[in-house]
Amino acid sequence: MITFSNVSLIYPQSTKTILENLSFQIEEGEMVLVMGETGSGKSSLLRLINGLVPHHTGGILAGDISVDGISTRAVKPGSLAHLVGIVGQNPINGFVTDIVEEELAFSMEALNFPPDVMRKRVEEVLDLLSLSALRRRSIATLSGGEQQRVAIGAALVMHPKVLVLDEPTSALDPIAAEEVLSVLHRLVHDLSVTVIIAEHRLERVIQFVDRIIYIEGNGDTSIGTADEILKQSELVPPIVKLARALNLSEIGTSVREVRRQTDHIRNSEYSRPLSSPRSESTAIEISHVSHSYNEKSALSNVSAAINHGEIVAIMGRNGAGKSTLLHSIVGLHAPDSGEIKVNGFDPTLLKGAGRRRAIGYVPQEPSDLLFASSVEEECVLADRNNEITAGSTAALLNRLVPHISMHAHPNDLSEGQRLALVLSIVLSGNPEVLILDEPTRGLDYRAKNLFAIALKEYASQFNRPVLLATHDVELVAELADRVLFLAEGEIVADGTTLDVLLSSPAFAPQVAKVMSPKPWLTVTDVVHALEGSS
Amino acid sequence: MKTSGVFAFKGASLLALFLTSAISAIGFLWPFFVDEKQGNPQWIFLIATPFALLLLMVSVSNKELDSKSIALLAVLTALIAALRPMGTGAVGIEPMWFVLILSARVFGPSFGFLLGTLSMFLSAILTGGMGPWVAYQSFAAGWIGLGVALIPRGIRGKREIFILALYGIIAAEFFGIAMDLQFWPWALGADTQLSYLAGASISENLSRFFSYHFLSAMAWDIPRAIFTASLIAIAGAPILHTLRRAHTRAAFLTPIEFIEHVKVQKAAK
Repeated sequence: MITFSNVSLIYPQSTKTILENLSFQIEEGEMVLVMGETGSGKSSLLRLINGLVPHHTGGILAGDISVDGISTRAVKPGSLAHLVGIVGQNPINGFVTDIVEEELAFSMEALNFPPDVMRKRVEEVLDLLSLSALRRRSIATLSGGEQQRVAIGAALVMHPKVLVLDEPTSALDPIAAEEVLSVLHRLVHDLSVTVIIAEHRLERVIQFVDRIIYIEGNGDTSIGTADEILKQSELVPPIVKLARALNLSEIGTSVREVRRQTDHIRNSEYSRPLSSPRSESTAIEISHVSHSYNEKSALSNVSAAINHGEIVAIMGRNGAGKSTLLHSIVGLHAPDSGEIKVNGFDPTLLKGAGRRRAIGYVPQEPSDLLFASSVEEECVLADRNNEITAGSTAALLNRLVPHISMHAHPNDLSEGQRLALVLSIVLSGNPEVLILDEPTRGLDYRAKNLFAIALKEYASQFNRPVLLATHDVELVAELADRVLFLAEGEIVADGTTLDVLLSSPAFAPQVAKVMSPKPWLTVTDVVHALEGSS
Repeated sequence: MKTSGVFAFKGASLLALFLTSAISAIGFLWPFFVDEKQGNPQWIFLIATPFALLLLMVSVSNKELDSKSIALLAVLTALIAALRPMGTGAVGIEPMWFVLILSARVFGPSFGFLLGTLSMFLSAILTGGMGPWVAYQSFAAGWIGLGVALIPRGIRGKREIFILALYGIIAAEFFGIAMDLQFWPWALGADTQLSYLAGASISENLSRFFSYHFLSAMAWDIPRAIFTASLIAIAGAPILHTLRRAHTRAAFLTPIEFIEHVKVQKAAK
């Protein structure tokens, strides 16, 4: 279906080849994962398939790409529109209309399809993606997973033979992600659609894909089955890390496979490690907080206390009230009722430099904090505002993500680089409390690891609290001491990470699923326990 | 081979631009030339100008606009059209002009012309102020976008802002004159000192028109000129920067090269 032969790509005004001598074939009805570090060229590869690169971006393309026998050299992206459907990273950016049905019909309208054909296809897609209950809903009111499904539906009405998705689950909670992936799985198996997907969260997709294209940092590319690639890759999901740590003979990609191989480990007895004592001094106190937007209740009677030196994760479905709770703590709005104290102060009363020192906040869309026209300018500004030695913000940034171009415009950075930049700026103010909203969207494993280390250091070194809202269970397992689980604006669970994550099947990390009922969340936990017993 | 460029009038569409602009220019200027008392020339032009606009749009929209230009045009048109009603009520406070002028500066006069005409048209739909005068307004706004071609392309920095602010003053005044000119024969009745006098000499009518214009200019055109120039002076630099970045990111006219093998390319270097 798709053939790359000796493809290399060089962007204009750049001497670096993004992809080098890449050759592979993808058959009809295959599901292929493109993986690689942040900024390695995954998105470029996806856009090469429908000719957006180089027809819209310029650049030098060596070799040849053909889709269903049509070479992308010969035709413009428009002529491939019926063949290749593309779904961007953030579906809301791609929607043109307000209503689900209209959105599905839009691309056909643009290509002048007869009304009866349009009508039929809209119905088909509504059924195929189980969207019929949502057909008259406004897109803005849908949840993240539903929006992603609408975006896939809008691509599918053209009956494409190839569907290309760029990080379709990165903004979704585990359940919504599952929903989207099972739809893709169905498309591949029932309709023989060829699906190419780029994703950082390998643990979510690895069990669904037939083959993997792995773009390494040095530009080398390998392609093969999941087992072949993961054996030697640096980027691996926790389940493969576990298999490596336990020296299993085969690397499994699904929980079931690995469970079968690890019976003997689960059946032995281990002493449970004592949890280290925590400080009991309260840093953030939330008492009976309720908040609503236009009659719609977002938080109701939430009470919690967050101690010094504690890393607390706030989890829950999209729309459960996580962001609202964080906004209240940061002081973006005063809650309707109840009271919040951050180190004894009401956060809504803080101003200017005092606010920066009291609360460090990384919003869901980190670029909201960036306004200068280059990375260097941002770093210099942060140094000056926080009255620290010139260059310390840049140094911190360089430690988090090396080789960032200091002259780049912040909006041109990749998601991960931009987050690192914002985090360095916020941390350079040395705030008393650190609050992060969905911080690991679009980060690869390595960046996530560095990010976790930076947060742990901050929490333990200064004995300060970190509060983060996230869907990323693997990150929570690695990082957090405690989890607050929100549903419909109420705290439904508040306990140690171990207790909360183990008790919920949907939010359990992969290692916990494999090792259940043993109380281990991460590979390190397993290794420690095994070492302790031997 | 290159990626498609920003929209520019050329060939048939350039001819259409000239012809329709000429028709609409006569639509503005006829009071000075037509000395027939009979035959209602104002009605002829009132109908001819919208048709000229329609003709131009059809000729452009056939195939010369590529997807990137359309996207850019749509976003900026929406922005400007939304900015226009912000000034209603306040005298001459029209924040749309400075965005139009700066956009035309970055994306070229042809693009500026389309942007001016379309955003005027769209804002008329938004505000419900639809009528034959919309075509006159559209052409006048389009010419303001087109007129940015008068500023040399090479100038940058403070000088660029200064010249653009100056252009803003001229443009605001030009728009005022054009609108007065369009309205003048209809206004005031037939028998005041300032009214259009059908059949009178050009100089007589010119002096009557300018007296009329300066009477109305005090209220509208001078505040508009000051407001536009100040906005360009204050916000010009960052907005130019942002628009230029968009221009770079859109990769207009970037070379595309297809080669057989990257190794060959390296050997050639």
